[in-house]
Amino acid sequence: MRVRRQSESGHQGSHGIDLAPMLDFVINLLIFFIITAVFVKEAGLMVNRPTGFEEPQDTESDSINIQVLNNGEIWVDNRAVDARAVRANVERLSAVNPDAGVLIIAQEQAPTGVIVEVVDQVHLGGIYDITFTTTQ
Amino acid sequence: MKTNRHTPGEAEETGIDLAPMLDFTINLLIFFIITTSFIKEAGVTVFKPEAVTAEHRESGNLLIAIRENGEIWMDRKRVELRELRPMIERLHIERPDDTVVIIADRSSHAGVVAQVMDEVRNGGITEVSIAADPGSG
Repeated sequence: MRVRRQSESGHQGSHGIDLAPMLDFVINLLIFFIITAVFVKEAGLMVNRPTGFEEPQDTESDSINIQVLNNGEIWVDNRAVDARAVRANVERLSAVNPDAGVLIIAQEQAPTGVIVEVVDQVHLGGIYDITFTTTQ
Repeated sequence: MKTNRHTPGEAEETGIDLAPMLDFTINLLIFFIITTSFIKEAGVTVFKPEAVTAEHRESGNLLIAIRENGEIWMDRKRVELRELRPMIERLHIERPDDTVVIIADRSSHAGVVAQVMDEVRNGGITEVSIAADPGSG
């Protein structure tokens, strides 16, 4: 038994399939996927944009309007409010009109940081139906 | 010589056993294949605004950065606003379930963000979100 096996495979040194080329290939694949792997997951906020075909008056009439000016001031309900007070204002206005969405009207040069802060506050106030539009 | 080599007998191989290493390597390979998602990075660093309610989106893999000065970056290149729409259209045809995340600097202008959102939407991708860091509070 022992002698016979040795005589069959004696020159190759092993009797299975040669795994080395497969291993080379697999390791190459592995290196490719390691290099291209990106573990970035961006967190974001969804906002709507008004489509040009809709009549804006219809939505504006029953939505909560928040204006953001170029200098970063936030106006809700014709009053300038602090960014942290937006949530309270939104909660108050949505209690009056529970189906209302929020319309953020930003001036062209309003900083995006303030917009995002407002969106965040509105989310905290419980409204996720936010439309974002800009004016001159 | 020949008899001498064969005396271990039960091990039957002269080299190291590669099988466990191969198992491990293939496991690693499967892990990287599964976790890989070919995100197109914007290529610039911007100061993202913070938002507590920011949510991670599974397939937000097309990143467009807007810098403070209004420059738009996508796929590690600076692009003009008017070039954005054909690029988005092309990418949307290649992979229709891509979604866009706009990484706007916190002091960039809202008008630019709105224009970029419109261009992306006109290019055919309707899922657009604005990136924010999920801050601690």
